[in-house]
Amino acid sequence: MSLPLLEVDDLHVTFNTASGPVHAVDGVSFTMESGDSLGVVGESGSGKSVTARALLRLFAITDDVRIAGSVRFDGVDLLRIDERKLRDVRGGQIGMIFQDPLTSLNPLMAVGEQIAESLRLHRGMGRSEAAAEAVELLGRVGIADPERRATELPNSFSGGMRQRVMISLAIACRPRLLIADEPTTALDVTVQAEILLLLDELRRSEQMALMLITHDFGVVAATCEDVQVMYAGRLVEKASMVHLFDRANHPYTEGLLRLVPRFEDAHTGRLHPIAGQPPITGGGGSSCAFAPRCSHAFDRCRSEVPPEVAVGPQHLSACWLAAERAKDATEAGRPWKRDP
Amino acid sequence: MTTTTTAASSPRLLRWMLLRRLRDGVVVLLLVVTVIFFLAHVVGNPALVFAPVDATDEHIAELHRQFGLDRPVLVRYFEYLGGLIQLDFGESTWQQRPAIDAVVEALPSTIILTVVGLAAAAAAGVIPGVVAGARARKPFDKASNLASVTALSVPNFWLGLLLILLFGVQLGWLPTSGRFETASIVLPAATLGIVHGGRIFQLVRSATFEEMSKPYVTVARSKGLTEWSILRRHVLRNTGVTTATIVGWEYVRMWGGAVFAIEYVFAWPGIGLLTIDAAHRQDFFVLQAAVIIAGAFVIFSNLLIDLGYQFIDRRIAAS
Ligand SMILES: Nc1ncnc2c1ncn2[C@@H]1O[C@H](COP(=O)(O)OP(=O)(O)OP(=O)(O)O)[C@@H](O)[C@H]1O
Ligand code: SF4
Ligand SMILES: [Mg+2]
Repeated sequence: MSLPLLEVDDLHVTFNTASGPVHAVDGVSFTMESGDSLGVVGESGSGKSVTARALLRLFAITDDVRIAGSVRFDGVDLLRIDERKLRDVRGGQIGMIFQDPLTSLNPLMAVGEQIAESLRLHRGMGRSEAAAEAVELLGRVGIADPERRATELPNSFSGGMRQRVMISLAIACRPRLLIADEPTTALDVTVQAEILLLLDELRRSEQMALMLITHDFGVVAATCEDVQVMYAGRLVEKASMVHLFDRANHPYTEGLLRLVPRFEDAHTGRLHPIAGQPPITGGGGSSCAFAPRCSHAFDRCRSEVPPEVAVGPQHLSACWLAAERAKDATEAGRPWKRDP
Repeated sequence: MTTTTTAASSPRLLRWMLLRRLRDGVVVLLLVVTVIFFLAHVVGNPALVFAPVDATDEHIAELHRQFGLDRPVLVRYFEYLGGLIQLDFGESTWQQRPAIDAVVEALPSTIILTVVGLAAAAAAGVIPGVVAGARARKPFDKASNLASVTALSVPNFWLGLLLILLFGVQLGWLPTSGRFETASIVLPAATLGIVHGGRIFQLVRSATFEEMSKPYVTVARSKGLTEWSILRRHVLRNTGVTTATIVGWEYVRMWGGAVFAIEYVFAWPGIGLLTIDAAHRQDFFVLQAAVIIAGAFVIFSNLLIDLGYQFIDRRIAAS
């Protein structure tokens, strides 16, 4: 069996802050193959961005952060290679797109130059070759008159156009994995759909894997084949998108899905569809973090962390209900059985 | 950095802003001069200071007449203003020559001292400020921050005296008083450099730190750039104008304060020393002329900085 492209194993990220440690990511494991499209969904503060940043160790110099576990990319643990090798991976092997296109670009550097910078760094291109390739890339992401636009500063681009620039920048060096952290949250609906379409097209044509982070199931449904749901620093459910839509197992996922608005309305903001707020210090407890908000919670939920159990083909859920049901079913010789 | 200057987007608006600033400057100077004039002429009596200790009453009255002090204050005030309009700053009672001559003679010394002092301050503040801001909360940041806070909180004259004690008296390396040789400038300029460098450091550090926290820097990092390239290619480009403005403002601040105390401590024959001496001798026309010239210099530099900022800002916006 060939090595998976990305293999995250038991990832923990802890920030030491003035008000104590924050376990932003608390034992996350998943794998991705080349060409996969994986959506990561969860409410604000569930640790999606921190997970993504941890893959490339992209933290601010002032962050007092501890990362544990392993992130094997092409078999190499990115958490254990030196800064120089990591820089080759950043932008070269793994590209990243961020939420706010208005602040993602250097306001005083021509957009073409910002793209060319990457090309010269990772693809060893000369100045003029890189400039020409940057124009080519801008054209590929749907920017009209790319030759002229390449020389302009970001402030002459609209939000959607800047996100296109950002995408062309992230894919400039043909990365094998593209991480998009809420790439459309700051954009309006029609533009949102266009950007998602572009990402999907590029994933297919460039044969990249795509990890799409969002708090919005509509976005995942439009773009991803697989999905994982995150809550308080842990993955609570993983499945294929189609499967999850009609067979969500985890009470948290069910809650999220119940409140999915029609796609047209999906951009309107960060929903808190379920009563209560997620814990602010992330995970790290010895219970199901969702218990305070879960209408199904029982004693065991408050004293033990629920294990990930298979509830269907390629479908995992971290919930005591599922675990106990699976145990009963296994004893009865009928795994994955659902209640009638 | 956001400033109010963004409003002045058309040449006409810009001209209007300039005129308004000039008007404000003239009004401020006029107010200051008026206050000094009345304070001085009500409280002081230059004839008493000028006259020998054993002078007779007639002698002093004679001096009074000679200095024109026997006429009503208001009359003298308007006479003085009338003179100012014709650039006549009055006569020095002490030096027996036009007050403006004394000021013009002192001006170059102050300009040399402040320019060299500013260069020292910029060297001491800008580079460490950038490094500290880019590597915030690391040992260098903490150490340099401590040093700059110390430099800032020590009174400038006290620092000057300390340097005199150390390098002049104890080690005997450098001259400590007057302006008789090239090396004379080292200690006063160093004092200015330390005091103002401390402030420049603080401002540049926080500007750099703020810039380093912006999302585009994370993006640059995600492209695989080294911290050094990020700083050089991205951050400095964005903090450059701010840094130039910070240094410019510091020059203006120097004229408004430290240079007076420092010139006095080091007996540096510039406007600061002249002003303080003139105050001691109740040589009011020299005092006033010095304040007007120094004030005009400050206002002019302010305008220059703002114009430069505007110019760069608009070029950036236009490109
Ligand atoms: N630099 C940091 N220092 C301290 N705590 C942090 C830092 N970055 C994130 N956190 C904390 O980690 C947790 C997870 O944050 P994260 O940004 O990953 O959430 P998210 O799922 O991406 O949410 P959103 O939808 O708002 O982007 C939050 O509780 C947050 O407060
Ligand atoms: S483990 Fe318990 S509290 Fe957690 S989601 Fe399942 S039922 Fe609810
Ligand atoms: Mg986020």
